[in-house]
Amino acid sequence: MAQRISRKIVITVVLLVAGFAVLFSVGLKGSLVYYLTVSEFKDSGRRSDLGDNFRVNGIVKAGSIQKHQGAPGARFVLTDGKQELSVVYNKEVPDTFVDGAEAVVEGALGADDVFAAQTLLAKCPSKYEAQNRQPR
Amino acid sequence: MAEFGTLCLYLALATSGWALIASYNGGRARLGELVLSAERAVYATWVLVLLAVVSLEYCIFTDQFGLEYVASYSNRALPKLYKITALWGGQAGSLLFWEFILVTYASLIVLTNRRLNRPLLPFVVATLAFVSTFFLGLVNFMARPFVRLAFTPEDGNGLNPQLQNVFMAIHPPCLYLGYVGLTLPFAFAMAALATGRLDDTWFRTTRRWTILSWFFLGTGILLGGWWAYVELGWGGYWAWDPVENASLIPWLTCTAFLHSVMIEERKKMLRVWNLSLVIMSFLLAILGTFITRSGVISSVHSFTKSDIGPVFAGFLGLCTLVSVGLLLYRLPELKSEHRLDSFVSRESTFLFNNLILVGAAFTVLWGTLFPIISEAVRGVKITVGPPFFNQIMVPIALALVTLAGICPTIAWRRASALKLMEKIQVPFWSLVGGAVALYVAGVRDLYAIVAFSLGVFVITTTVMEFFWGARSRQKVTGQKFGPALLSLVDRNKRRYGGFVVHLGFVLILIGVTGSSAFKQEGTASLKRGESFSVGRYTLRFEDMVSRDSPNAEFMGARLAILDGGRPVGTLVPGQNFYKAGQNPSTEVAIHYTLREDLYTIMTGFDPQEGRATLKAYLNPLINWIWIGGGVLILGAWFAMLPDLRDRRRDAEARLAEAETRAA
Repeated sequence: MAQRISRKIVITVVLLVAGFAVLFSVGLKGSLVYYLTVSEFKDSGRRSDLGDNFRVNGIVKAGSIQKHQGAPGARFVLTDGKQELSVVYNKEVPDTFVDGAEAVVEGALGADDVFAAQTLLAKCPSKYEAQNRQPR
Repeated sequence: MAEFGTLCLYLALATSGWALIASYNGGRARLGELVLSAERAVYATWVLVLLAVVSLEYCIFTDQFGLEYVASYSNRALPKLYKITALWGGQAGSLLFWEFILVTYASLIVLTNRRLNRPLLPFVVATLAFVSTFFLGLVNFMARPFVRLAFTPEDGNGLNPQLQNVFMAIHPPCLYLGYVGLTLPFAFAMAALATGRLDDTWFRTTRRWTILSWFFLGTGILLGGWWAYVELGWGGYWAWDPVENASLIPWLTCTAFLHSVMIEERKKMLRVWNLSLVIMSFLLAILGTFITRSGVISSVHSFTKSDIGPVFAGFLGLCTLVSVGLLLYRLPELKSEHRLDSFVSRESTFLFNNLILVGAAFTVLWGTLFPIISEAVRGVKITVGPPFFNQIMVPIALALVTLAGICPTIAWRRASALKLMEKIQVPFWSLVGGAVALYVAGVRDLYAIVAFSLGVFVITTTVMEFFWGARSRQKVTGQKFGPALLSLVDRNKRRYGGFVVHLGFVLILIGVTGSSAFKQEGTASLKRGESFSVGRYTLRFEDMVSRDSPNAEFMGARLAILDGGRPVGTLVPGQNFYKAGQNPSTEVAIHYTLREDLYTIMTGFDPQEGRATLKAYLNPLINWIWIGGGVLILGAWFAMLPDLRDRRRDAEARLAEAETRAA
């Protein structure tokens, strides 16, 4: 009796774990995105086999923001101090998106070598941390 | 005052260290006086940390911008409420706050247990003092709240405007009370393992503390979601952000523990599992604190930047080593005393519920840590997006709800198929009826149909559970139905409180499903008098509005809401321009109804053309998330109320102890 029960339980547990494994692999496949700095992204040798979508982190170059006229979004340049990347974003920009802000864009490089961003996050390192402006 | 605070923290480190050494050695050598001195050292630590907290608040309130912390997180114009909350606005202050909550809990534990549980207490105190000493070490040497700047600035930076919100005043303390509270069952578990007193004392003693921390953690998560919803202006409440995940993971393992501990109470089974869950919850809470405080995951290659990172990793490693080592050492003594009687039993539903919850916790953990793992293994940071979490967590949530519905219909030990069929009939047909009704009403989203009809199923079984319980009590006592129900619920607070929690969970699920499956949105750039529509609502831009307050200047667009042509109200979404010079912040305006929220933001305006750019979301059923949260809170509170049975047991324990002492 006891053995039969434990066998049933083992089978159910195995099924559950297998279910998890399937969900896991399916879920991972569609949602992996490489997270790179501007220089790493520009270093094209490293991104041939990494997929289509990327997340790129950098600083918004001061004076580079050109807001779209009559539509949401902006064009700007992302830099990490070494290399630069032109980015276009066609949705409303967040409050924190200003010159010199740290930003993360997610999207893909277009044919014109401009990065077309689907999402744009501007620096808010932790919800609980105030903006990093040290008194000078 | 700052020097006084620094001094207090040094002294607190000393008393906390003493509590650790004295209670450990006193416990091992059974030296009562040494243990007593350790307990007093816990009280002393509490007083000293309290004084440090008070002096930091004093510095914030008196605008002492010569202190780095005050200059970074406060300014002159900051409202009083947010001067209080500035205490946990930054890393150093929040670690101090964590420590303060920990020593407060520790003092309460010593106070309430000093006559009970004598054999366990020294090791409980030692564990708590160990954790406390670590955090005091952090605030004394790594993240010091009382550091002076080389000069005194005129004004401070002020608190991030997004944190200037009532929810942000309650959310972090709630979360911390939850995180820190998980240390208490862990401390008792460690004491049980260290002493070899592995009976049910350790979890019975901490049962309410565990529910309390679970409750605070859950409330904190909900408030965080609510805050994101009303403050961040993207129309949602949950983004699978590492910080959010960090609080969800220990909550899931703690939920698993609250269920499986009932099996241990009844059958003395799953003992190793329960200890493991408690250990895991504690370690995950520490990990969560670390993720929240260090920002380790949110930016590229930041692991090296965070100076508290290695220290935290070391502490986590040490805790894991000690606790797992102790568990392995006691493994032979932790054999189950019983086995499952039947596959179809309430016990087995608990078992599966546990597996699913722990699986869910590890899924979220894996997805959250994936960037760090991939960076360590392959040198590239790879992130896992929300689709990963959604794909896995939706089926998991549905499976959990199904179990919550089936569980009350299955008897303990062994359920007879006949009884089960009889009990599950009504809920089953209500499920089918619900699904058909939804289909007829035009709902075609598969997940939505499944989620809503499962919701109906759980609500039916749960309500019936109350009904049948009261009925059978009526038969025994001959009372009327109402009084029978009341006395039934009153006698089994945890059980029925737990069912109420299930109802709250179902309401949350309904809200989440409704607002994610049927969300609508619209954007428009309008001149005065023009309008646009979202769903059945039309929004007409009436006028620009501006308001001036000491802290900020507000610019907004007044919108008339028309529901099928009928005016139902106005909304004024806008932006705040802070005088302390921070970026403008979006001020969301929401028209709340039980059926749906109309959520509006103004993303920009052009004063020359008089044109405003607006965005609106229609979020169906979203308020049921918060209502469900309220139900959940009520249920949890009710489950924590003292039970008659418990009181009797405590009295018996006290009597037995008095007898042994007399003998």
